[in-house]
Amino acid sequence: MGRPADMSQPRLAAGCRWGGSGEEGTILFPEGAIKVQGTGKKILEHCDGKNTFLQIVEELQKHYTASDPAHIRDDVAKFLEALQQKRIVDY
Amino acid sequence: MLSNPLALIAEITHRCPLHCVYCSNPLEMAKAESELPTETWLRVWREAAQLGVLHLHLTGGEPLARADLTELIAGARATGLYTNLITSGLGLSEARLAELVDAGLDHIQVSFQDSREVPANWIAGAKAHAHKIELSRNIRKHKIAFTVNLVVHRQNLDHLEEMISFIEELQPDRMEIAHAQYYGWALENRIALLPTRGQLESALQVVAAAEGRLSGKIRIDSVVPDYYARYPKACMGGWGRRLMLIDPAGQALPCHAAGVIPGLEFDNVSARSLEWIWQESSAFRKFRGEDWMQEPCRSCDRRTEDFGGCRCQAFMLTGDENATDPTCSLAPQHQLIEAVLLAANSDKPAISQPTAARTFRQLQAEAAGAWHYRTNPE
Repeated sequence: MGRPADMSQPRLAAGCRWGGSGEEGTILFPEGAIKVQGTGKKILEHCDGKNTFLQIVEELQKHYTASDPAHIRDDVAKFLEALQQKRIVDY
Repeated sequence: MLSNPLALIAEITHRCPLHCVYCSNPLEMAKAESELPTETWLRVWREAAQLGVLHLHLTGGEPLARADLTELIAGARATGLYTNLITSGLGLSEARLAELVDAGLDHIQVSFQDSREVPANWIAGAKAHAHKIELSRNIRKHKIAFTVNLVVHRQNLDHLEEMISFIEELQPDRMEIAHAQYYGWALENRIALLPTRGQLESALQVVAAAEGRLSGKIRIDSVVPDYYARYPKACMGGWGRRLMLIDPAGQALPCHAAGVIPGLEFDNVSARSLEWIWQESSAFRKFRGEDWMQEPCRSCDRRTEDFGGCRCQAFMLTGDENATDPTCSLAPQHQLIEAVLLAANSDKPAISQPTAARTFRQLQAEAAGAWHYRTNPE
């Protein structure tokens, strides 16, 4: 499927949702769970099916002003693509 | 330190409209009148969530046989548990499916016996195939995760490619291709189910090709048969380490088959809390740690990875529940497996497949001697 397009609206895939409690976030899916924290958690919190990929990237660029914006964009795309392969994220 | 269980498998009934020849239910099933009432299950869900359990797998028998299934799912969802329904789909109308989804069902897993209707129906001992296809279409109208489970074995492996294409058309998020495992009714039917080495090798290639082709579209999880593996499986992720199973009558077991091991005493959720059972139940403590291990497990580097394999299989095949799982190539009694594989790979004629019968009784009579069908609890 490849990386998310700029105007795509990433969201958790059908049957994947937040669970657990505490500082770390947990994403529950059919046969497992992943714990996410820090940047990963922040990205997924924006994946509500309304924000576009570009908006999510801009949100992170505002937050991490010391990092190279192109680098951030690349990292977000790679992160979402890996989760799409696992059928946890759709876009 | 003891970690908390991550998944709870609830066999809420042993009643089932199917009679699959590889059913994992015990040969002695829990009677319908001994099934736990709704409120006890709901308390178990609350205790499970508090204990740190993330996933609840509702299975059976056929969970749809319980009239209170919607209530059980709503109660589970209220505690935050991720709820999975493992079903044949028989008895699931479009309206009832919508009701279960509204109650908070997260994931549905439907088993298929074959891509071809005739063998699918005689493996299951019921005319279920067409209904399952219709159900799959209905499931895709809802936003829940959908897994198709396919059990593979000697009788259907030769057309695995066709079966994968068939499942692909059902558009699940995930397909599980599981070789039959030899417990319960499958052990009774082992000689007719165990694949040849040639079948196994081509199946591995077919699965690998499908994984590549469907990557990002359908996730494939495959379970290889331990009889052909070099090392045993880490059964249930280790005894009493990750999973709890509650049977229809409320007995808490470390795995589906644990009832076969003599002398184990199972505690019941009607009398004890889940937390107490996890920490104190003698059945759960029995094979935790390494004290029970014999050689070669005791000094083996792999003992923390596969925990000596499956205790139930060790008992069923060697008569000693502490023995190394005989599927391990290092096991002193590995010859037991080698002998079965030799028979499976000899030129013996294929098991005759029963032709279409009108009723289950007729099928059972026709297949007598070749197949043992799972029957229902009294």
